[in-house]
Amino acid sequence: MAGAAPHEGSARGKKKALDAELNLVPFIDLLSCCIAFLLITAVWTQIAGLQVASSGGPPDQQKEQQTIDVKLLVTEKGYALTMAGANVEIPKVNAPSGLAYDKKTLGEKLKTLKSSLPDQTAITVQPEDNVAYEDLVATVDTCLGEKLRDVTVAPLN
Amino acid sequence: MAIVTPGKRPCDRIARSRVFGKKFLRGKRGVYATIMLTSLVDMFTIIVIFLLQNFSATGEILFMAKDIRLPDAVHGAEMERAPVIAVSADSLTFEGKQVMLTADLRKGDILNIPELDDALREERRKYERSHAGDASKPFKGLIHVQADRRITFKIIKRVMRSCNDSGYSNINFAAMSKAKAAEPVKTAMK
Repeated sequence: MAGAAPHEGSARGKKKALDAELNLVPFIDLLSCCIAFLLITAVWTQIAGLQVASSGGPPDQQKEQQTIDVKLLVTEKGYALTMAGANVEIPKVNAPSGLAYDKKTLGEKLKTLKSSLPDQTAITVQPEDNVAYEDLVATVDTCLGEKLRDVTVAPLN
Repeated sequence: MAIVTPGKRPCDRIARSRVFGKKFLRGKRGVYATIMLTSLVDMFTIIVIFLLQNFSATGEILFMAKDIRLPDAVHGAEMERAPVIAVSADSLTFEGKQVMLTADLRKGDILNIPELDDALREERRKYERSHAGDASKPFKGLIHVQADRRITFKIIKRVMRSCNDSGYSNINFAAMSKAKAAEPVKTAMK
């Protein structure tokens, strides 16, 4: 029968059986050690980093490839996108937890900007003093999501 | 008459029987149990594969403090090992050592944090001393800022200013990595 291990032959032509018995004890030992090691070294919290440049850094580290000067003001009222003389206001919207920054509209505006200026990678985010870290991170995250990788964070005043 | 335990009592012939005699044995169950090795090995293999998938070679870079709740981010990058500034509602710490109280940071009007400046400059000096002959690892000025989600930019601004003054201009804002929401599948409508 196809696939079956050959039987041991008759007394004349004895063939060795192809089936081998695997010793499971060392195998289980190895797996146990692996599990112990991986459990000890496991990192359960996934933390990401949003890299930004800070305004006023050393001149050699300043980005020089800005196509146009794009500024995103984060104020108490909402976002204000300023570029090449134009100013786009994105007010806060109602959310279950109260008024929140309209990240969706900001994303759409940045997408439009990126489609008209594909080489544009720089943006300056200028938050007000009372803007929470959560909102700052969300804004930077939205910018990074629209391929604006050179984000500079500078104080508004 | 002797007192005996209540219950079934077989006759001598049944009690001696190899087949039926076992029914009447009390308290003489076998102490050995058999393990199904196939399922055990299967389970171990699945656990090892799962843990290997979650394995991170960089290890834990940031210590998650109880009083710091990080915001979520979708487009964050993997973090490298660098000094960490943690800002909670109570205190500002650098590499686990308390530098200042957050309440004091709210009061001041100066742009930087002198205590943090000193600590950062010392850290930079240490790095440059330890990597003096190693051209492959120049000082990149990378630093992680791990702040509670409610901390205002007024404090972050001062931390950033101190980092800048000390040569740490590549600032990484720490956030919890969140998977990007799946976009709805567009189906062809006739």
